[in-house]
Amino acid sequence: MPEAKTKTRPDGLYILHRVAILFACAAVFYPGFNPGRITTEISRYTSLLTSCLSYESLVGNLGRVLTKGIVQRSTFVLLMCASVVILIGIILAAVGGCMSVGNGLMRRKGLRYPVIGSVLMGVGLVGIYVAYTQIVAADSKRVPPNISGGFYLFIVLAAVILLTSAALLLRKKDEALEEKMGMKEEYHLFLLFLPFLALAFVFSYLPLWGWRYAFFDYTAGGTLSADNFVGFKWFTYLFQNAATRKDLFRVLRNTLAMSSLGILTSWLPMLFAILLTQVNSKRFRRIVQTFTTVPNFLGWVIVYAVALAIFSTDGFINSFLKNFLHVQANTNYLMSSSHMWIKMLLWGLWKGLGWSAIIYISSISGIDPALYEAATMDGAGRFRKIWNVTIPQLMPTFFVLLLMSIAGILSNGLDQYLVFSNAINQNAIEVLDLYVYNLGIGSGQIPMSTVIGMAKSIISVVLLFGANQASKALRGESII
Amino acid sequence: MSENEKKIKKVRHTASGPRYKSSVGDKVFMTVNITFFVVFTFLCIFPFYYLFINTISDNDLVNRGVITLLPKGIHIKNYLALQNVSDFGNSILVTVSRTILGTALMVLASGFAGYLTTKRKMWHRSMWYRFLVITMYFNAGLVPWYLNMLGLGLTNNYWGYIIPGIVAPYNIILVKTYIESIPAELEESATIDGASNMQVFTRIILPLSKPILATIAVFGAVGNWNSFQDSLILMANSPNLYTLQHRLYVYLNSSSNLANVMQSGGQVTAAMLNTKVIQYTISMVTIIPIMLVYPFMQRYFEEGIMLGAVKG
Repeated sequence: MPEAKTKTRPDGLYILHRVAILFACAAVFYPGFNPGRITTEISRYTSLLTSCLSYESLVGNLGRVLTKGIVQRSTFVLLMCASVVILIGIILAAVGGCMSVGNGLMRRKGLRYPVIGSVLMGVGLVGIYVAYTQIVAADSKRVPPNISGGFYLFIVLAAVILLTSAALLLRKKDEALEEKMGMKEEYHLFLLFLPFLALAFVFSYLPLWGWRYAFFDYTAGGTLSADNFVGFKWFTYLFQNAATRKDLFRVLRNTLAMSSLGILTSWLPMLFAILLTQVNSKRFRRIVQTFTTVPNFLGWVIVYAVALAIFSTDGFINSFLKNFLHVQANTNYLMSSSHMWIKMLLWGLWKGLGWSAIIYISSISGIDPALYEAATMDGAGRFRKIWNVTIPQLMPTFFVLLLMSIAGILSNGLDQYLVFSNAINQNAIEVLDLYVYNLGIGSGQIPMSTVIGMAKSIISVVLLFGANQASKALRGESII
Repeated sequence: MSENEKKIKKVRHTASGPRYKSSVGDKVFMTVNITFFVVFTFLCIFPFYYLFINTISDNDLVNRGVITLLPKGIHIKNYLALQNVSDFGNSILVTVSRTILGTALMVLASGFAGYLTTKRKMWHRSMWYRFLVITMYFNAGLVPWYLNMLGLGLTNNYWGYIIPGIVAPYNIILVKTYIESIPAELEESATIDGASNMQVFTRIILPLSKPILATIAVFGAVGNWNSFQDSLILMANSPNLYTLQHRLYVYLNSSSNLANVMQSGGQVTAAMLNTKVIQYTISMVTIIPIMLVYPFMQRYFEEGIMLGAVKG
């Protein structure tokens, strides 16, 4: 690949050009910047990209308005087409933006794309404006017309992209251009990697922006504005409101109790592995390993199906008692709130014990046989060898897993507790993850559940780094 | 590699210990030990056997609670009847297609992204790598995540299953670590011969990293097949987009209602009783593919957990 010869001194105009393009690309995904929200009846959750991809979600709330003929279907088709034109324009601008990190020739050739792209954006914006005038003409309270902030934003962006690329094109050609287009490899690699970074940004970093809901008096479908900004109200409400406080303590008690039970029994997989490796028959070990690891690969819903089949009113236990012991048995063991923590622990062990043991089984097979030979020479029996050779060798693995489970003490996961919960055991089974789900998704208390989720995330990160520091201090190795 | 395997074999042989002289204590220990494993293994298999015999036995006998240990009146009508269960065909389609498409895209993306992160020449490589890796250690929480997906238009939308799963930082790390263990000379000589980055990736890196790609593929496929939470939260209003597990969950809940009715002595209709059999059958349909594939894939799963343990 020919290396670019031009100087890579940062150029203010190019930087403005790229920033505008990058911003336009991001705005495509963000509903708040959708230029096509020409009536407030279009969902606030519709981004420009959604308007391009799905006509159904564009007109989702407008079904009756359309069937009554208050506005024409063609208005929204026009809107969708205009959105697609804008999207194509932005894609072209993005191509130009990528080419602008190449050598002189590539930059110059690349500039034509943002020019075409910004003109297309302009065309699309005109299309949106025409659709808007049609809505205004309909003059109905059912479809209040609206010009969104995104509309003006896109006008500005299109203008900036057009002007910067025109200015760059008209610039004096004082530098000799290369014969072939090329790009420095460092930028080329970065551009190849960019899509992955963008996806990570959209799905992992962008949700953090949702933390702002914690500071507003927000109900689903409402808006965020200075009027309903409440500062730290929800944070204090959590502790000042007696009912919520009680709930929170109950949920925290369940969470910590079940996590602690898990941590206290975290040596069981190690024991399982040690005992299994004591069996001489390789085939026996293989069969046990295969069958005990299978439940791990079936989801919690399946585990619940199994639980129902065995423990419900007409399940195996009752059927066995009736058919073989001729006892009248009609207990539904799942409809009880007693010993919930232990039961959840046992289901977790049933599902995960065999699988968690594998890591120890592999570690055991990696232990230097010379250690065992030496122990035999010293007259050590089976248990001496387990105690003095195997267990010390497994300790590092055990320690790392223990620290990880301590760091995850607040995250029990949702699936297991959701599928097993019912009206009777709800109080004993509700862990933090389930509580957030019930509160946020179930009852739509978005600010409150966001507050709890925020606190949980922050505490978890702190715990993780604490565990990492502990590991560094004790073993001189980091675990993350 | 083969030398390593030999070594492991040798070690395995000795790790199970030399055969002990059978003292009484030792005999007792081995008996208890083996009994424990037999019982635990039985507990792991029996529930699935029980579900299975109930789906192939005569439905009347099943509803009377007679089928306990052996099937009676064997038939497969229940499996055929699943096509009448509303939206069941869609659930199969959604689950199978997302397992194939989601896994394929994830594996390709992890392979390529993993390869790119080994390139020291990349502009600010370590910063971007950290940008990606850090996402494993925090998350904004369930509700902000949901609102984000809502904003992106990925709720009640099939692509909501696929797109968020493409970039999997953990798998990218695994691939990166693996590629770094491939001798750099291979890549260098190809570059000297004039191969581009893309060619090096498709001709050299991809074929050589098949083992790691297979490992992340089996984990990804199982994850997709068992997916429940994203269906539950994102697709709440689109029953035709429910995954198998979500569909099963819906049926299980209607079945526990049935149990409530029976416990309170209410009237139970034939249609309600049938939900039990349907629920067992859907469970089996969800379980059987994994059971069939698992023994062949076990090796990859076991390698996968060890890779996780040694990742840098």
